[in-house]
Amino acid sequence: MEFQMNQWSANKTFSLLAALAGISACIVSGAGRSYFSSSVWAQDSKKPADRKSIVLDRSPIRKLEDPNATLHAIAVDVERGEVFVGNDNIMSPPSIMAYPLDFAPTDKVMEPKRRIAGPKTNLGAICGLAISPEAKELYAVDGDGESMDVFSLEANGDVPPARQLAVAHGSGGVYLDLKHDELFITTEHVNKITVFRRTAQGEEKPLRTIQGSRTKLADSHGIYVDTDKDEIFVVNHGHWRETAPGEDDARRKGGDGSRRHPGVPEDLAPSTGQFFPPSITVYSRTAQGDVAPLRVIEGPRTRLNVPSGILLDPASNQLIVANAGDDSLLFFDRDAVGNAAPVRVLQGPLTNIKGPTGISVDLKRNELWVTNWDNHTATVFPRNAKGNVAPLRLIRTAPKDVPAPGFATAGGLAYDPKRDEILINN
Amino acid sequence: MSHPRISVFAGSAKGIVDPIRVITGQASLLARTMHTLSLDSVHDEIVVPNPFAEALLFFRAAGSGEEKPIRIIQGPKTMLTYTDNAAVDPVHNEVFTSQRRTDSVMVFSREANGDVAPIRVIHGPKTKLDRPVQVSVDPVNNILAVTTMEGLWIFNRTDNGDVAPRAIISGPKTGISGGNSELKVMVYPEGKKIFVSGGGPLKIWNYDDNGDVPPWGILTSSSKTEMHGSVSRVAINRAAKELIVLNRTSGVFIFSMPDLIQ
Repeated sequence: MEFQMNQWSANKTFSLLAALAGISACIVSGAGRSYFSSSVWAQDSKKPADRKSIVLDRSPIRKLEDPNATLHAIAVDVERGEVFVGNDNIMSPPSIMAYPLDFAPTDKVMEPKRRIAGPKTNLGAICGLAISPEAKELYAVDGDGESMDVFSLEANGDVPPARQLAVAHGSGGVYLDLKHDELFITTEHVNKITVFRRTAQGEEKPLRTIQGSRTKLADSHGIYVDTDKDEIFVVNHGHWRETAPGEDDARRKGGDGSRRHPGVPEDLAPSTGQFFPPSITVYSRTAQGDVAPLRVIEGPRTRLNVPSGILLDPASNQLIVANAGDDSLLFFDRDAVGNAAPVRVLQGPLTNIKGPTGISVDLKRNELWVTNWDNHTATVFPRNAKGNVAPLRLIRTAPKDVPAPGFATAGGLAYDPKRDEILINN
Repeated sequence: MSHPRISVFAGSAKGIVDPIRVITGQASLLARTMHTLSLDSVHDEIVVPNPFAEALLFFRAAGSGEEKPIRIIQGPKTMLTYTDNAAVDPVHNEVFTSQRRTDSVMVFSREANGDVAPIRVIHGPKTKLDRPVQVSVDPVNNILAVTTMEGLWIFNRTDNGDVAPRAIISGPKTGISGGNSELKVMVYPEGKKIFVSGGGPLKIWNYDDNGDVPPWGILTSSSKTEMHGSVSRVAINRAAKELIVLNRTSGVFIFSMPDLIQ
């Protein structure tokens, strides 16, 4: 609620007294009627159950927009020479765009080779992308929906997914383990890693899940699986509450809260919420259940700040973290543990890195790709880049100086009368 | 998934613009899925929920950058469960939040900090609360409005325990019943109106409405309003007599409403 005390403080004392006297309805609505149109007068005279709603159909006097593609997820197809980027802006609308890996540097908006978008696609807030060059498939996880949509790598336009897999609400990170043909998906809302067969569809049950208090999963996002050493890496924002196994499944089937027992309220219970530092948690690839991580990277020296994406560069044996909170890429030794400092950092105004979210490596061209949620770009660097260096080239989905309002998935709205400001949260 | 943040725009902003300031970053403790934002103009504060850490976060309204909350309500005594909404009553120094997972409404002291018990809890079979979605409070007319999966529940502001609501707006004529988890609510004390958004047009009821009654008024998506799909959230700029509407698939729309806003 916006409580606009400044503007109606003059009326407050009167209103309070009137309310106390039980005459507010008469006096206040009577005073207000001078503002209403004749149609409102007529409507007000009818019994509420019989009235016809007034339609406030009029043109806006202004509007705030965020119509440009906001890049979140990314996956590089080295063999086909293409990069897929996911646009999670529901005002844009959402899309998956395919661009060439090789192109002449340009500062202009680039049109994609192909674009999957439209009502048939079922695409929403695309948070995770993975590809299988062998199966020629693209896997897209919707953070606000409850599905993973699978498309052909050649898909273009408003096409339905080739198949869909039901996943928990709030799922985002996805990694395809090509060696074992398994998909790993993180779920932010219930602190969980779910492992499916690559070809799973419909309501198919997972092969394994990692969830529970011992896991230290806490608002988890990006995920990477090292199939050589059989380890899973996950980045966590650190926001935690105890989650019961199967909690998300109950919700998806409409069975949460009092719906399970109509007329009988749920019991009150002690809260379990806590804040932990942001972290990278590491598990055995085959772990399942409520298992403790093999090791954890966390602490002030790590510089982790809203870590959103994670990847292992097998050539350098370094973990790369898209650190959205401070516009940086952090590089850690693969076996780092505890309060470990990054071995290098890519950050600064020359880099064009702003709100980095997705990362991918092109081992053939020795390049590192980054999606920047806050400036409508995907940027390409040498794999060993560090410091404040300019990208080799970048893909723009909006002209260079177009603002980035950043309210693509807004959740709340308020007006501040003191400062004449509009507040929007994501 | 977007980055968790509070973005601030000039009231007169239009088109595609950068925010004039943003509260974001790890130190802010902001998370996604904070489905409301409540402004307390009297004490110049913002309160937002963090559902993943089951907390209510208070910020300076003028905050910017990697701003830390000035107070946090969190801990076992709070009984907060996946809380994604909050509403401040700056007159009586209270903050309200509905709890979908426990069919309840919690009320805390606005100045509470840390692991504190609620000062009141609306909960029990008489309340008929069924997965309450969001709250809004009118401190002058003593109205507590709560959207649930089945409609709009209206309580007295000071209600506590297992109490029946003073009114329930629900049924086929209302257009808001039938299991809608997106229903948001905002009271408008000066006009004695209640705005319900989420799931179709913006719907407006009078304070004294009750039962299966059509909305007093609606604002819908149309070629004239330029909105597409559901109206998600609303706010009021009373000085300019403007209704500010978030249409998640199209943007933020500002309508002149001198006939509605006093």
